[in-house]
Amino acid sequence: MSLALSTLIYEWRRYMAAVIALAVAGLLVLALVGMFMGIGKNFSATIDRSPAHIMILPPDSEGLGTSQPRRNIPLLFQHSEVVEATPFNVTWGQFTNFPEGEQKAVREGVQIYVVDPIPGAVTLPTDFPEDVILALQEPYSVILDVTSLNKLGVKVGDKAKINGRTVTVRATISGYPSLFNSMIFTSRQSAKLLGLVREGPRVGAILVKVSDPARTDTVAAELNVIGKGQFKAWTKPELSKRNQESMFKNSFISILLGFMLVVGVFIGVVITWQTLQGAILANIKEFASLRALGVSIGSLNLIIMELSFWVGVAGLGMTAILLVGVTALAGAMGLTMFYPLWSVITIAIMLLIISVLSGLLSLGVLKKSQPADLLR
Amino acid sequence: MNGKLAIDAKGLSKAYKIGKQKQSVLKDVDFNAYHGQVTMVMGPSGSGKSTLIAALSGLMKPDEGEVIALGESLWKKKKSKIDRFRLDHCGFIFQGFNLFPALNATQQVEQVLKYCKVKKSEAKKRAVAALTEVGLEKRLKQTPSALSGGEKQRVAIARALSKNPQLLFADEPTSALDSVSGQVVIKLLHRAAKEHGAAVIVVTHDPRLEAYADRVIHMEDGKILSDHFVNQPQDVVETPVS
Repeated sequence: MSLALSTLIYEWRRYMAAVIALAVAGLLVLALVGMFMGIGKNFSATIDRSPAHIMILPPDSEGLGTSQPRRNIPLLFQHSEVVEATPFNVTWGQFTNFPEGEQKAVREGVQIYVVDPIPGAVTLPTDFPEDVILALQEPYSVILDVTSLNKLGVKVGDKAKINGRTVTVRATISGYPSLFNSMIFTSRQSAKLLGLVREGPRVGAILVKVSDPARTDTVAAELNVIGKGQFKAWTKPELSKRNQESMFKNSFISILLGFMLVVGVFIGVVITWQTLQGAILANIKEFASLRALGVSIGSLNLIIMELSFWVGVAGLGMTAILLVGVTALAGAMGLTMFYPLWSVITIAIMLLIISVLSGLLSLGVLKKSQPADLLR
Repeated sequence: MNGKLAIDAKGLSKAYKIGKQKQSVLKDVDFNAYHGQVTMVMGPSGSGKSTLIAALSGLMKPDEGEVIALGESLWKKKKSKIDRFRLDHCGFIFQGFNLFPALNATQQVEQVLKYCKVKKSEAKKRAVAALTEVGLEKRLKQTPSALSGGEKQRVAIARALSKNPQLLFADEPTSALDSVSGQVVIKLLHRAAKEHGAAVIVVTHDPRLEAYADRVIHMEDGKILSDHFVNQPQDVVETPVS
């Protein structure tokens, strides 16, 4: 084991401030990215968990909130491998509970997702269990995420109103939390009864199933040729990735993340640099004795740089531990966190750059390792 | 090699600026030392003895004078070459032991050998041999916190000796030790001179060490007051007097 690594392990308390500073810097940025990505994931949870292989969107759209002509649906069936094409129906509704006793009255806007409660249907999320599918088949039944029960002031079996019409909360699912408007699922038949199905000339995203999922990429490309620019066919991974990217094109999120990045780097560099300097000064006589024995200042610089690198690695480890804790805490509060690989790699590189930069800034202190000072 | 001139310095002067005043610490000092001999430099605090060995060993450039060490003019070399010279030929023992707290005794010695470009397996062998020579064969895996003061100084001596230095400088090596440990340390330095042929230059206050010296030089006010050979080296043509 090298001198740098042995020193870090042996004198870990001395380096703890730097390790924690790095971990906090990493956590600050990564937790924010994770939170925003988690929110984004929740928005597209029904798409990600849909059995659809391809999503059809308007040509200039990268998100799910836009509409396209209904006439695109028959166009899709020109491709012989398209077996199902159904519009994805999401609407807004006013949810009102029937408060009992001292219960608070809730009147809130909700997102209503229309699904076909038939196993294998392209609009039915793959993770809906059998009892939930059966519950959805009942007229006027709705289901919602378990974390939305409190927010909407209802429990399973309760009656409530959507746009003034009475519905029954028949079951709950998990994995569809939402920071803002709660997600409510209902069947196409119930949605029709509630007046929520859009029958007009425009539809939202169209979900497509193909006969051979292994050929999804090819079929998507061929559908784009058939569409002649009237729509764009996205495979699920493509759309998921584009959704994540478009999230960070949002200027508010970018500014916030950029600000946190700068604050994180600043805090990380200053604390790591000062801690490293203090630690080197504590061993300055030992370094000076190596200088006396003829070890060059360049070799001592390398020891410091290696030490700062290991501090960075320790900071990374600590970030991972803190992140697991924060994610667990967020999970307990019904908030999904998602960390794409690029963000983890970026933060890892950022922490190593901070630690190496701090190491470089600390090299000056080695000039104090004058071996002549060791002579009394 | 024993008895040959190892280091020869002429006209060494050094002054420090204290406030607006310049204070001379070394005043035109001539000095030499021989292989296989323990040369003891004694004198009160502020007499210039530490400055003298700093100038002799390449740690501090004198204002004037020349040092010929192992036949090479030390202060005419570039800084990096002086470092290399010390790495190849010099050993140092300080009053404070200056051992890395995280390394065990063997690693302390190996650490220095690594920079001497000694292979890992060879470095381990030499480290164990050096520590065995100073009587620490049972303390190879101990870190400084588990060693006594005397043992720490013996590790420092092993670290210095493992390089097989031809010049060994010791600055107050026994000041922080009890008398028994001090005896052990000075005997080791004596052995380094006699068995390894090193020129051992010891700066000390400790009069008990005189018994082990081949030559005793007394300094005061930056000048050599007396220079007395206990054992005359073979090469001495005339007794050097400052």
